[in-house]
Amino acid sequence: MRGCIVDNRMAWAGEDLIRRMAEGDADACGRFYDRYARLVYPLILRIVGEPADAADILQEVFWEAWQAAARYDPARGSPEAWIVIRARTRAIDRLRAVRRRSETFVAPLDEGLAAAPPESGGDAAERAADRAVVAAMLDRLPEHQREAIELAYYGGLTQTEIAERLKQPLGTVKTRIRLGLERLREMMGPAT
Amino acid sequence: MSHEPFETHAAVYALGALDGEERAAFEEHLGGGCAACATTVREHGETLADVARGVPPMIPPAHVKADLMRRVSTTSPGRPSRRRSWIRWGVATAAAVVAVTAFVAGLVASRYEARIGFMVRETARFRADRERQEAALRDRLALSQGVIDLLQDPATRVVTLGGSGPSPAAVGRLVWHDDRGGYLLVADVPSTPAGKVYELWTISAGQPRPAGVFTVDASGRATHPVAATRSPVQVFAVTLEPEGGVPAPTGPIVLASAK
Repeated sequence: MRGCIVDNRMAWAGEDLIRRMAEGDADACGRFYDRYARLVYPLILRIVGEPADAADILQEVFWEAWQAAARYDPARGSPEAWIVIRARTRAIDRLRAVRRRSETFVAPLDEGLAAAPPESGGDAAERAADRAVVAAMLDRLPEHQREAIELAYYGGLTQTEIAERLKQPLGTVKTRIRLGLERLREMMGPAT
Repeated sequence: MSHEPFETHAAVYALGALDGEERAAFEEHLGGGCAACATTVREHGETLADVARGVPPMIPPAHVKADLMRRVSTTSPGRPSRRRSWIRWGVATAAAVVAVTAFVAGLVASRYEARIGFMVRETARFRADRERQEAALRDRLALSQGVIDLLQDPATRVVTLGGSGPSPAAVGRLVWHDDRGGYLLVADVPSTPAGKVYELWTISAGQPRPAGVFTVDASGRATHPVAATRSPVQVFAVTLEPEGGVPAPTGPIVLASAK
């Protein structure tokens, strides 16, 4: 019995881990973290820019996931989407709070978007290659669509802010976002 | 109203960029049970998670998991299970209402929890900063007090060190008491290159003995306490040495007292 559990550890799906978290299984929470922290940490870091802030937010995101596990509904999205949405929301909340406080709106955003996350061990060449793949994926979007999506995804800007920034009508921005997302969905569709 | 605008709203909403009245209207529409929009939002959510998956993975700092597990281990697992059994026993309609209310309340609560969490951490950071500054001030005060105490002792003398070699402009004073030791105060000393420190030597009968390493602040100043020596010191000298210091001088002399 015990051996069986050990054997299955690696194979447990994210959904099972969330279900076990909902039942109060701290061990499942640890494994859920092991499975998704590497995915969301670089995303959070890319959004907030500061490793210390990113670590704070990372912990908060998984802490909230632990508390909200009972409310997870597989029909509303995969465990991956669930944790990524939480991570983006928290990171962007933080970004907006910082911007409100510093009242320097444009400059940090430009720096943040330009900056690649700092390297932290591992094979730099391999990661550079990975990054090129992602860049290629977003680059396959028409420039205007990519720009609008990146400003929201990494910069946390709302549609109105994007419209002001790009000096485009709001309707145009919304259309670019929708067309861009639909295109990305087509590109990645078969895999999901 | 045509459904078409909602398709666009769903995309912008999934990206977290819908704002103002449109956001409120769309949330109401979603809450009204529009299955098509729920599906669209879900699909875009998956796409955006795929975008995240494309970002090269990075190993987060180890303390994050340790802190998380500490928090997790202190919470009671009972609460969520109780909610589940309540839902099982409730009538379907009531359960749906409870679930929606719990979801919204949870959403609101988690937003505020996160905000409060940020404020708590921010406050903690300010406190830590202040404590660091206080500690630094206390250290400086203790040094200054030590120098003043020593100067009040009639047996204390002040030795002048002149700059030499790479730093002719450097100046130093050694407030020295043969039995109590003293303090080296320097000014206009260039900051040390990476991997190097300044090391003080007390030279008795031609024999240099190490008397501690130090670095200078941005303005080229430092105050360095020096322990008393067993035999009377004839010369004080400062050399540039590898980090951690060395048992016998190897680097250039930066400051030295007259014999």
